[in-house]
Amino acid sequence: MKSKLKSALAVMAVVATLTACKKNDESKNITKGEFILTVTPVASTGVADYLVNVPTLDSGAVTTQGNGQEQDGTYRYYLTHNNKFFSMLYGQGNPGAVTAYRNVNGRLNKITNFQTETVQAFAAVNNDVLLTKVPRKINADGATLYTYYQVSTNTLQIEKEGTLDAMAPANNGEIAHFSWLQQVGNKVFAPFFPIKNNSFDSDFHDQAWIAVYSYPDMTLEKTIKDDRTSFIGKYFTNGLGVVENGDVYAFSGSLSTTSDLVNEKSVKRFTDTKPAAITRIKSGTTVFDDYYFDVEVASGNYYITNWIYVGNNKFVAHIQPKAEKGAYTTGKELAIVDVLAKTVTKVTGLPGKAEINSLTSNNYTPKDGKTAYIGVNLTNGLGYVYKINATAATATQGLKVSGGNITAVQYLANN
Amino acid sequence: MQIKIFLLTAIFCIAVLASFSQTQSATITGKITDEDGLPIPGALVKLQNNSVSAVTDVDGVFKLEKLTAGNYALTVSSVGMVPQQKQVSVKQGSVFNVNFSLVSSVQRLEAVSVIGRTETQETNRQAFNVTAIDATKLYNTTLDISGALDRVSGVKVRESGGVGSNFNLSLNGFSGNNVRYFIDGIPMDNFGSSFQINNIPINIAERIEVYKGVVPMWLGSDALGGAVNIVTGDRYRNYIDAAYSFGSFNTHRSVVNTAVTSKKGLTLQINAFQNYSDNNYKVKVEASDIYTGAYAPEATLRRFHDTYHNEALIANVGVVNKSYADKLLFGVTVGKNYKEIQTGARMVSVFGGWHRRGNIIMPSLKYKKHDIVKGLDLTINANYNLGNEQNIDTMNVRFDWYGNSKPNGSSGERSRSLYKYKNNNGLATAMLNYKINENHSLALSNVFSTFNRKGNDPLSSSNNLERPSKTNKNVLGLGYNFDVKDKLSATVFGKFYHQNTSTGRSYTDMAATSKLGYGTALSYFINPSLQIKSSYELTNRFPEAVEIFGDVENQEGNVNLKPQISNNLNVGVIYSFALNSEDHFSVTANGAYRYATDFIYTRLNQNQSKLVADNLEGVNTWAADAEVRYSHKNWLSAGFTLTYQYLRNLQKYAIDPATGEQQTSVSPVYLDQMPNIPYFFGNADASVSFKDFGKKGNTLNVGANVLFVHDFWLYWPSLGESTGDSKYGIPLQLSPDINIVYSLKDGRYNIGLEAKNITDALLYDNFSLQKPSRGFYLNLRYFINQNRK
Repeated sequence: MKSKLKSALAVMAVVATLTACKKNDESKNITKGEFILTVTPVASTGVADYLVNVPTLDSGAVTTQGNGQEQDGTYRYYLTHNNKFFSMLYGQGNPGAVTAYRNVNGRLNKITNFQTETVQAFAAVNNDVLLTKVPRKINADGATLYTYYQVSTNTLQIEKEGTLDAMAPANNGEIAHFSWLQQVGNKVFAPFFPIKNNSFDSDFHDQAWIAVYSYPDMTLEKTIKDDRTSFIGKYFTNGLGVVENGDVYAFSGSLSTTSDLVNEKSVKRFTDTKPAAITRIKSGTTVFDDYYFDVEVASGNYYITNWIYVGNNKFVAHIQPKAEKGAYTTGKELAIVDVLAKTVTKVTGLPGKAEINSLTSNNYTPKDGKTAYIGVNLTNGLGYVYKINATAATATQGLKVSGGNITAVQYLANN
Repeated sequence: MQIKIFLLTAIFCIAVLASFSQTQSATITGKITDEDGLPIPGALVKLQNNSVSAVTDVDGVFKLEKLTAGNYALTVSSVGMVPQQKQVSVKQGSVFNVNFSLVSSVQRLEAVSVIGRTETQETNRQAFNVTAIDATKLYNTTLDISGALDRVSGVKVRESGGVGSNFNLSLNGFSGNNVRYFIDGIPMDNFGSSFQINNIPINIAERIEVYKGVVPMWLGSDALGGAVNIVTGDRYRNYIDAAYSFGSFNTHRSVVNTAVTSKKGLTLQINAFQNYSDNNYKVKVEASDIYTGAYAPEATLRRFHDTYHNEALIANVGVVNKSYADKLLFGVTVGKNYKEIQTGARMVSVFGGWHRRGNIIMPSLKYKKHDIVKGLDLTINANYNLGNEQNIDTMNVRFDWYGNSKPNGSSGERSRSLYKYKNNNGLATAMLNYKINENHSLALSNVFSTFNRKGNDPLSSSNNLERPSKTNKNVLGLGYNFDVKDKLSATVFGKFYHQNTSTGRSYTDMAATSKLGYGTALSYFINPSLQIKSSYELTNRFPEAVEIFGDVENQEGNVNLKPQISNNLNVGVIYSFALNSEDHFSVTANGAYRYATDFIYTRLNQNQSKLVADNLEGVNTWAADAEVRYSHKNWLSAGFTLTYQYLRNLQKYAIDPATGEQQTSVSPVYLDQMPNIPYFFGNADASVSFKDFGKKGNTLNVGANVLFVHDFWLYWPSLGESTGDSKYGIPLQLSPDINIVYSLKDGRYNIGLEAKNITDALLYDNFSLQKPSRGFYLNLRYFINQNRK
């Protein structure tokens, strides 16, 4: 009998051996610092970024293996304002969530979570974060409304919430879809592109629009128009930049589209006839002045897809050949755009275009007039932060990032 | 395709013809019943001085073949019955019929309990790695089928909530539709939401067979990780079994099963059941105030929009034991269900108005005939679901967890809809089994299923749901069995799979896909108490209609889903022994290795609002499970199961979602453990039975059950800091249940009391959805049967 019991125990022992769990201690990979990288693991669709603190962007290496704070959700967007880092969840159909962090001893420390809606545009305004939700369907039974939220970065609560008429700014029967929001003085400028009901097409082209709202009342004061360019910015992209003297520069990529039925399939087509260009609104005014900078001519047929203002009238811009135009494309080349000198200078020192998978469009600049840090994701799966010198128009390889695609480069001082 | 079917049929026919040339020998048949005339299944019939033996089938019928003429002493034994012996004399070429009526012998029960086998135990002795649950022992509980399955080693049932919620079953690391469900061998794929394993009460079943890994030929279909077969049986020809239970969360369930069979063989069987629950159990959530956006961390709130009810009636009418059919039944399943949807794929999205309705109207045909020619059995099943489903989302508001809502645009809660549709699914199966002789048999099976979703939405004319959503699938199989009774069982088989899908998206519209699969299974008794089993299979698992086209609820369709191809290897050992005449043990251990390409798994969709099935280039699995059971005399029974499964991602180079191309540096999660899959879990139970409690013929049973699931990560384990609190995971879960059942008058009246999740532990599932909090249930059951002799 004992032998039977023994053999039974032996069988169980084998099972127990197979069941022994293994534990990984990867805490050795943890990095800290005042720079923040957000990294999405490629192999895990449906999962949001990891937030990784790093001590420097100029050199070294970092990985998401055992490092970084995991975030829930799929798409997240980031904003640093009032000594806090905001991570905003974007998910169609799901409520949006905002998590606020402080940087404590080089590690993001969650202060609070609060819930908003999934929004299409947000910006820092005064001590608030202004978020707007843009409708895509025209309401046949009533008003078609934007919803906006003014979130205080001090109390970390929605201080004010309201609705705005989404048909009013364009006043042409189409929804004015904000491309982004920008505080200018004590007002909020909202450049937009009109869209038809339930589609991103428009019957209107060769026209720039900016809706001007008072703050915090959010009264639509006027719509600024200009027919020298097409609409300003693009979906989820800020096409405006405010320089030191308060002047506002606006870029247009000439990206208006409409759809035709070709062989019973809907095919998109670009409709603008005006070149990609930069225009200006002088400080304190709400009209375009006569400034005009033809980007296509200055760059040799490129257009701007995104930009970041580094100071001293210089922007580091993502550029894309006009021949490869796309409504949502982010350029894989960089150029220094000097709006005063009206020059476009290609940045050298980046990897070849074929090796680049994507460049990050949410980036960090100390606003010293020359420096920007841009994330470069390579097709082989690795990523690097490149330091851009706007004076020399050069890019220098910095921090190596493995374990995912860089989606944003930010800075938040310890506090 | 046509030629292949023709060839297979031809081979089969030759085999049939070959059998006619064999010489006829003597045969003894008979039926074994108890004192009440009820058939005794699983009784052992043995010829003295001869190694020939047989076990009775469900109807108590046995058959001893290939005997030489002469005089025999025939001995019959069964659990709890006094053995009997009869002398018989048989002539060459004749069939001798002899019936036995056994007398029960309660005092002898413990002595023979290890030798006598019930049908349930018989199932466990097949070549396949199979576990059978004796459902009859659970009749006095409020379990549904999925609750019973959760107690089997290697099985993990994952539910998204309470009564009527979506479920997902995993078997040794295979989950979702890798595991197929059958009822009496008929695939349940097309039964709709009104009739699923999470709403069928346990009382419908006589036993539930769980096949891990290789699935026998007669279950056809394209199961990959295993199969669950619910055997409803027809043990009693005239009976009524009625049960009603109510309990926490306003849960009411009732079930009535009844059958009437005339002397001429006309039969009417009716199963009717109903489930109702408010499912308003408590959950712990980060609840935000809809006005300020502020979160109350860890608020304990009740669910407020989760009512579920379903009602179903299954009626079968036909004949049994006729010359042209052992069973010919025409039936119809009618039912409806109503389901409120509380959350999306994650608990952050809350709904307060969105709900669904569905109904089922399914005519069916069942035909079975043994010995069309000697040794050749034919089974045919067919059904077609005429039912409708409707998705109702008409409130233009957003809800919070407190039940407050505020206006939110004009697109409903998730997506404004009154979409009403029919899935138009049908099924036809045919199965031929030919027993060449005692040792050899052949099986040919074909399973055809069709799905064609059609519907319309009065609220949205531009709905892309109106694209063709059509898929047809056919699985043809041929198998050969070699058996040496109580010693060896071996099988080899081949399968031909074919699927045709139309999605209306010209760029992905899949052409017909065909695949071949094959496998072998072997079991061997080293001695009567020690059995080893092993099997290997190259198998294909085709995407289900719901995975391709979605369920119009929280599952998103994926029209690009490819079939999963898997190499499965299983080994198992079953060892039973007794320490003495009072203490019996049985130990079962199984191991499995799987290597799957285009592994189909469930992930969150792009916005985490729904789940979606997707392929992963390669995944391998090492799995082991063990079960130990102990019984003392006939009043104490205890046991535990433990399962460990290690699923590893073998996709070395990740695909860049932007370009669709493979990256050249090794994926950061290559060789990482698959996330969001429980990998270590188990179950322990003990029950004590007091016979003649209070009064003779009354029994009191007290049982306890504890479910255990080790904590696991929601996303890839290797990524991010795991030391702090920032990494998302599902914590360790322990859920104890207690039940007390008092049976009066030999089981005619039963009163059961159950307490589930008595410690009120937080139980999670799929992507951290929470399951019911503590609940109490009272169960009343009445059972009576009368058998015509």
